[in-house]
Amino acid sequence: MRLELKGLTKKFGSFTADDDIDLTVEPGQIHAVLGENGAGKSTLMNMLYGILKPTSGEILIDDEPVAFSGPGDAIAAGIGMVHQHFKLVGPFSVADNVQLGREHTRGAGVLSARAARRAVLDVSEQYGLRLDPDAICEDLPVGVQQRVEIVKALSGPRTELLILDEPTAVLTPAEIGELLDIMRSLAEAGTSILFISHKLKEVQAVADTVTVIRRGKVVAELEPTASETEMASAMVGREVSLTVDKTPAEPGEPSLEISGLTVVGETGVKVLDGLDLTVRAGEIVGLAGVEGNGQTELARAVLGLIRPDAGTIAVDGRRVDRDSPAQRIERGLGYIPEDRARDGLINEFTVAENIVLNQYRDRPFAKGGVIDAAAIRRRAEESIAEFDIRTQGPAEPASSLSGGNQQKVVIAREFSRPRRLLVAAQPTRGVDVGATEFIHSRLVTERDTGTGVLLISSELDEIYALADRIAVIYNGRIVGEVGPDTPREVIGRLMVGAEPDGAETEAADSAAVADFDAESPAAPDTATTDDDANGGDRDH
Amino acid sequence: MATDTQATAPAHVDERAVVRHLKAGIVYAAIGVLLAAGALAFLGGDRETVFTLDRTLTDASWTLPTLPTVIAMAAVVAACGAWMLLGLRRGLFKLASAIAVAAIVFALISWSVSEPGMVFRAESILAGAVFLSLPFIFGALSGVVCERSGVINIGIEGQFLMGAFTGVLVANITGNVYAGMLGAMLAGALTTMLLAMLSTKYQVNQVVVGVILNLLALGFTSFMYDQLKKTEGYNSAYGVPSNALDGIGLGFLADIPLVGPVLFAQNIFVYVGLVAVFVVWFLLFRTRWGLRTRSVGEHPAAADSMGVAVNRLRFWNVTAAGLVSGFGGAFFTLANSLAFTKNMTAGLGFVALAVMIVGRWNPLGVLAGALIFGFASQMAEYLDVAGNSIVPGPFLQMLPYVVTLVVVAGLIGRAKAPAADGVPYNPGDK
Repeated sequence: MRLELKGLTKKFGSFTADDDIDLTVEPGQIHAVLGENGAGKSTLMNMLYGILKPTSGEILIDDEPVAFSGPGDAIAAGIGMVHQHFKLVGPFSVADNVQLGREHTRGAGVLSARAARRAVLDVSEQYGLRLDPDAICEDLPVGVQQRVEIVKALSGPRTELLILDEPTAVLTPAEIGELLDIMRSLAEAGTSILFISHKLKEVQAVADTVTVIRRGKVVAELEPTASETEMASAMVGREVSLTVDKTPAEPGEPSLEISGLTVVGETGVKVLDGLDLTVRAGEIVGLAGVEGNGQTELARAVLGLIRPDAGTIAVDGRRVDRDSPAQRIERGLGYIPEDRARDGLINEFTVAENIVLNQYRDRPFAKGGVIDAAAIRRRAEESIAEFDIRTQGPAEPASSLSGGNQQKVVIAREFSRPRRLLVAAQPTRGVDVGATEFIHSRLVTERDTGTGVLLISSELDEIYALADRIAVIYNGRIVGEVGPDTPREVIGRLMVGAEPDGAETEAADSAAVADFDAESPAAPDTATTDDDANGGDRDH
Repeated sequence: MATDTQATAPAHVDERAVVRHLKAGIVYAAIGVLLAAGALAFLGGDRETVFTLDRTLTDASWTLPTLPTVIAMAAVVAACGAWMLLGLRRGLFKLASAIAVAAIVFALISWSVSEPGMVFRAESILAGAVFLSLPFIFGALSGVVCERSGVINIGIEGQFLMGAFTGVLVANITGNVYAGMLGAMLAGALTTMLLAMLSTKYQVNQVVVGVILNLLALGFTSFMYDQLKKTEGYNSAYGVPSNALDGIGLGFLADIPLVGPVLFAQNIFVYVGLVAVFVVWFLLFRTRWGLRTRSVGEHPAAADSMGVAVNRLRFWNVTAAGLVSGFGGAFFTLANSLAFTKNMTAGLGFVALAVMIVGRWNPLGVLAGALIFGFASQMAEYLDVAGNSIVPGPFLQMLPYVVTLVVVAGLIGRAKAPAADGVPYNPGDK
C-alpha cells in the first residue's frame, strides 16, 4: 500500500497539535517518524487510524482520498495499528483478543472457538510469530503481548500498512531485537510500516526513511545513515550532547544497605526475593532490569510506602525499616518516583506548593503551624530559576506543565533539602531529550557532592550513561553486579535470567538478537545499513 | 526468533507451606466451645431434631438426638479452629473455613428446629428457598449484564419497585397477568434507559445516578400507590398459577422425592429465573455479543480500537438489563399474588448487588449466591412462623443480611470487578 498524507492538520481549540504534515510511505518501506513527547506523533497516528478526525488536509491510500469515521474504517482500508499502550483485554485469551470486533461465528452470533484458534495459528505461522491462542493475555510477558498485538493488527481483512506506536518502550533488549527482525521480514513481504519512536538507535537499525516532527511540523527528512546527534538535534531544535561528562566515582561509606529484602505481592508471588544491594556515598548504582521484576517495590520499600515481609534497610548505617516515610526523608532520603502523576506531584496544587511538599512543616515555610506563603514563593522562584522550570509562574497548577517540566519540579523539590541518599526511579521517563540532558547532569553533580544515588531505569542507555556500577534485577533478586563497561549482551542476558557466561546455546542465541545494533545473523539479507551507522558509538 | 524470554518463573510463595491463621483459628475455636457450652447449658438431653420429606413421602422421617448432634458439630468447628491455629497448608484454609461454616449452620438448624412439635420440612423449605432466591437472581443478573458492560447499576432496587408496581397495574388494566409481566419488564427497561443515557452520553457519575433513580422510583411508586388507592381495580392482587407447568408433563417428575417439589412443582417465575441464568451465561461467554460486552467492561479503549461502538453497546446493554430487573420486580407482586404496597421490595435490590459480587459477576456464581440467600430468608421465615424458636422473630429477619456479611467477608474475600466498571468512556482515552 502506498500511503500519502497531504497537509494534515489537527487543532484542539486554539492549540495546533499537527500542522500541515506531508508524508509518504512507499509499499514495503519502513518509515520512521521521530519526535519528542508532545511533538504530535500520536495525534497523527490517531488521525490515520480513524480515532481522531483531521481538521484539514487529506489522507490518500494508493492515490485515492479516504475519510475514516472510526478505527473500523481504517481496519477495512488495510491499516493495522499496534498502540503504545497495548489494547489487550487482560482476562481474555489470545484468540479472543485477536477476534474481537471481527468474531468467528457459527451463525446467529455464537462464537466458534475452533475457527478463532485456527485463524490465530494461521497468521502466526504465516509471519513466524509463535503464539498460544489459548493463553490468557494478562499472564503473558510483555514481549509476547506485543506479538499478540502484531498478530491482531495483521489479522485484519487485508492489512497492508502497519503502524507501530513506540513499540519498544516496554521491551527487553532481546525482545527489541526480535521485534526489529519481525519488522524487517514484514517489510520484505510487502507490508508498509510506520514506525513511531524516539529511540534513535532503533530507528537507525530498521528505517528506510526518517521523518522528524517538532511541535506538530515536519522539520526534517533524513536518511537512516544520519548520526544520532543529527537526529537528536532535529528533534529538539538545538545542539544536544548525548553523552554525559563525568569523572570517575570516589565511593565512600555505604549510604544505602539492603539485605535479604523480601516483599510478597497480592497474588502470593515474591516480588522481592531476598534482595541484597549496597549503594555507597558518591557513586551512582544503576539498577537495570525489565520492568516488573521488582524495581517498583524496591523503590517503594526504600521510601517506606510498603512494609517488607523480611530483610533490613539501612540508610547511612542506621536501620530505617520501621521508620515512616517522613522520618526517612528527615534522615536524608531523596526520592524521585517512577510514576510522577501518582506519587510525584499533586496536580491541582501550584508549582510552589509542590516544590515545598517535603518541608512545608519546617521553618521558614511554616511558623507555629501557619504556612508562610511569601517564603514559599521565594523558594519556588529560586528553584524555577535554578532548574529552568518552564512555567508562567509559581502560582500555576502543576497540571499545566509539560511532562519534562513536571519532572523538574519533582527534582527541584528533592534537591532542595540536604540529603545523603537519592533514589531516582525512571527519572527521565516521558521527558524530552533536552530535559533529559539536564536531569542527567544534575544526577552527576549530586553524586559529586557525596550523595549515594540509586538509579532505577528500564533504559539501558541511561544506565550506561550514568552508572558507576550496574546491578541487574530479575524476579526480585540481584542476579549480577557488573562494571559500567560491561557489554550490552551480557547485561541483556542477565536481565532475562540467563547465565551471564553464555554457556547455554539458547542464551547465546538470544544474545545474538539482543544486540540488535549489530547485524543479526538470523537476517543477513536485510536492506538496512545499520552496521556502519552504529559502529562508532558502541560502549564496548 | 520468537524465543520466550522468561527463562525461569518468578518465585511463588509455596502453596504447600504450612501457615498459621491466628485470628480465624481463635474465632472458630471460640465459636465451637461456645456452641458446645451453650448446648450443654440450654438444651435438654431429650430434645430431638426431625427431618421429613413433607410433600412426596409424607411418612419418611429421620430423627437425630439434638444435643449430641450440636456437640458433634461444635467439635468439628473447634477442630477446624485448632487446625488453623496449629497451621495448615495455604490451599486448605478455604476448605477448613467452609467446613466450619457448614457445621455451624447445621448445628444452628438442628438446635432451632428441636423445639417440641417442630420438624424440618426439607422439601417445603428447599422449594421455598429456591422461590425466595428469585429476586436475587433477577436483580443480580441485571447487575451482571450492566457491570460486565462497565456501568454500575445500583438502581436495581428502583427497577424492582417500578416493575412490581407496573406489573400489578398493567395486569389490572388488561386483566392478563402475562401482560403484567411484560409491563414490569418495560418499566424496568425505561428506568435503566435513563441510567444508560446519563452514564454514556453525559458521563455522569453512575453511583450518584443510581441512588437518585432509587429515590425517584420510591417516590413515584409511593405517590402513584396513594393516588390509585382512591379508585378500585388498579391495585388488586393478581397472581400466576402456582404450578403453571402442571399438566404438560411435569406431573410425574414432581413426585420424585426431594427433587420433585424443589424443581418440578414451582411457580413459572422459578423456571424463567433458572432459564435466565443459563441464557445470560451462554450469551456472555459463548456469543459475539458477550465477547464485545465483556471487552467493553474490561478495556473499552481496546474494544474501540477494534471498531466496537463502546457507548452504544453500553447503552443498549444497560437498557436490556432493565428488562431483567423489571421482571424481578414483578416477583414481589405477581409471583406472590400480592397487591403493591409502598417500599415492598425492602432493600432486596441492594442484597441482589451483594449476590452479584458473591457470584463474582458470573451468572452461575449468581445462582449459587442467590440460593444461599434464598435459603437464609426461607429459614428466617420458617422459624419466625413456627414462633417458638429460641431467637425472637425480628432478630431472625436479620439472618439474610448477617449471612451476606459472613459470606462476603469470610469466604469470598476480595472479588475482582470488571476493570472498567463504573468508568465512563470517552473516545480517544488511553
